[in-house]
Amino acid sequence: MSGYAGDRTTGFASPAADDIEGPIDLSEALDLRRPSRYPVRVSGATFAARGILPDDVLVVDTSVTAVHGSLVVASVAGRSMLAELRKTGRRWHLHSGDGCRPPVEVAESSDVEIWAAVTGVVRLVV
Amino acid sequence: MPVFGLIDANSFYCSCQRAFDPALKRRPVVVLSNNDGCAIARTKEAKALGIKMGDAWHLIRKDRKLAGVEWLSSNYPLYADMSRRVFEVLTDLVPRVEPYSIDEMFLDLSGINDLESLCVKLRQDVSQITKIPTCVGWGPTKTIAKLANAIAKDRPELEGVCDLTGAGARERYYRNLDVGEVWGIGRRSVEKLHASNIRTISHYVDADEKLIRAISGILGERIQSELRGDSCLRLSDMAPQRQGVSCTRSFGRPITEPEEMREAVCGFATRAAEKLRGEGLEGGHIAVFIQTSPHARQWGWYSGQRALSIPATNDTLVMVRHATRLLREIWRPGYRYIKAGVHLTDLSPDGAQASLLEPRNMAAESAMRAMDEINQRYGKQVLRPASIGVNRNWSPRQNMLSPRYTTKLAEIMVAGTF
Repeated sequence: MSGYAGDRTTGFASPAADDIEGPIDLSEALDLRRPSRYPVRVSGATFAARGILPDDVLVVDTSVTAVHGSLVVASVAGRSMLAELRKTGRRWHLHSGDGCRPPVEVAESSDVEIWAAVTGVVRLVV
Repeated sequence: MPVFGLIDANSFYCSCQRAFDPALKRRPVVVLSNNDGCAIARTKEAKALGIKMGDAWHLIRKDRKLAGVEWLSSNYPLYADMSRRVFEVLTDLVPRVEPYSIDEMFLDLSGINDLESLCVKLRQDVSQITKIPTCVGWGPTKTIAKLANAIAKDRPELEGVCDLTGAGARERYYRNLDVGEVWGIGRRSVEKLHASNIRTISHYVDADEKLIRAISGILGERIQSELRGDSCLRLSDMAPQRQGVSCTRSFGRPITEPEEMREAVCGFATRAAEKLRGEGLEGGHIAVFIQTSPHARQWGWYSGQRALSIPATNDTLVMVRHATRLLREIWRPGYRYIKAGVHLTDLSPDGAQASLLEPRNMAAESAMRAMDEINQRYGKQVLRPASIGVNRNWSPRQNMLSPRYTTKLAEIMVAGTF
C-alpha cells in the first residue's frame, strides 16, 4: 500500500524524514477550491493570438472585478463566451479575440452579462 | 442577546442549473426527483405555470401549456458542490455557519452592529460568487430567523431581507400569520391548535404554556419560548451523529429476475458500508426491503422487509453476505419490483465493539481501506464486489441530466470564443 513519501524507511532512517513536503498539488496552486473559482473549457479559436487555444481549460473567478483589458467569460444572448472587456468612455464593451466581430455593450438591455474574470489557463498537451 | 440568521437559496436546484447555462436565465426550469419521477424544484416562472411540488412528470410532460419548460434530472454532485461554495462564502463573512440543509444555513450574527448591511452583503456576495439568489431573515432565536426568512421570501417588497429582532416588528407579522407558518409545527398540531382557537402566531405566543404543552408537547412549548424571543436552540456546527445509514433506489425499469435484484441489493450494501467507513462508524443491524409499485397494482402488489442484528462491522463483504441472505428470505417470484434498499442501524464508532471473543479481522480492514483509497483515486466503484454485477441496466432514469460542471473535468462549462 502507498503512503511512503520518502520518510518511513525500514533499514536506515531517512535523513529527509523531517522535510517531507509531498507532491505539488496544482488544484492548490490554481486555488480551485476557492468558492469563486470555476474551470471553463474553451471552444473556438479567436483568442489564439492571445495564447488561448481550443480545448484549453480556463480558471475563472467570479469574485474578481474585471478591468479594462481583462479576459472574461460572459453570457451573450444565452451563450457563454470568452471575450476581452474594454472601457470606452463610460461604457463597457466585449471585444472579440480577432476583431472579426463588432463589439457588444455589457448591458442588461442587450442580454450581455459578465460571469467571471479569467485568472489562469491550463493546457494538457498529451 | 444572541442573534440568529437564516439564509436560504431560492429554488436552489434550479438556480444551480441556471448558474452554468445562461440559456435558462428566463425560462421556466423544473428539476425532477430521482428516477425523473416528480417535480422537486421550480423556478418562479415554472410556479407561475401552475406546476406544483410533487407533480408527476409523466402526467404533465405532454401538457401543451408546458412546452417551454426545461425539465432536468437531479444532478446531486453539482448541488452538493454549490452548497459547499455558498457555505464557504458565508464563513468568510460570518464567524459561525451551520449548514442546516443543502440549501439553507443558520448564521451566528451575535454582536454585529450593522446587521442590515451585513445581510445585504451576504446576499450580494453569494449571488456574485455562486450565482445563487437567496433571502436572509434574522432575529433573536432560530425559530424567529426561520420565520423572518419565509417572510423575506414571500414579500418581494422586502428585497430579500427581513429583520425580526424588534418585538414590534414581530408583533405585526405574528398577528397576521397562521401558526402553520412556524418551523416545527406540523400539520396535525395545526389542526388541534385551530380546534382550540389558536389560529395566528400571536394566539400561539399568548396562549397558556400548559395548553400548548397539552396540544403539541414539550417541543411545542419550546417553539413558544423561541417565538417569544427566548433562545432554546443553539447553533450546531455539525450534523448530530447519524442514527442510520441507508442506500435505497427506485429502478429505471421494473426488476423481475432474482439475479438482477441480488446485484442491485449487493450494490446498496456496498455503498452503505462505504458510507459507514467514510464516517468511521460500524453498523450492528441490517435491514433489506424490496417493493413493487403502489401505482401499478394490476401486476400484483408486494412489499417485503427483513432485518438482522449482526456483530458490528463496516466490512463490505460481510454486509453483502448478510444482505444477500436477507434478500433470499423476502424474495417472491412473479412480481415487478421497482424499489429496494438497505438500511444499517445500531451505529457505533469504528472499533468500539471489538471484543476478545471476536478478534478484529485486520486483513479485511486493510482490504477495505485499500478499496476505498483506490475508488477515491480512480472513480466511484472501480473496485467492487463481483456480486454487484457489471451491467446494471436498472439504474435510475436520468434522461435529462446536465453536466457535473464543477466536479468532473470532462463535464465542465464550455465557453465559445467571441
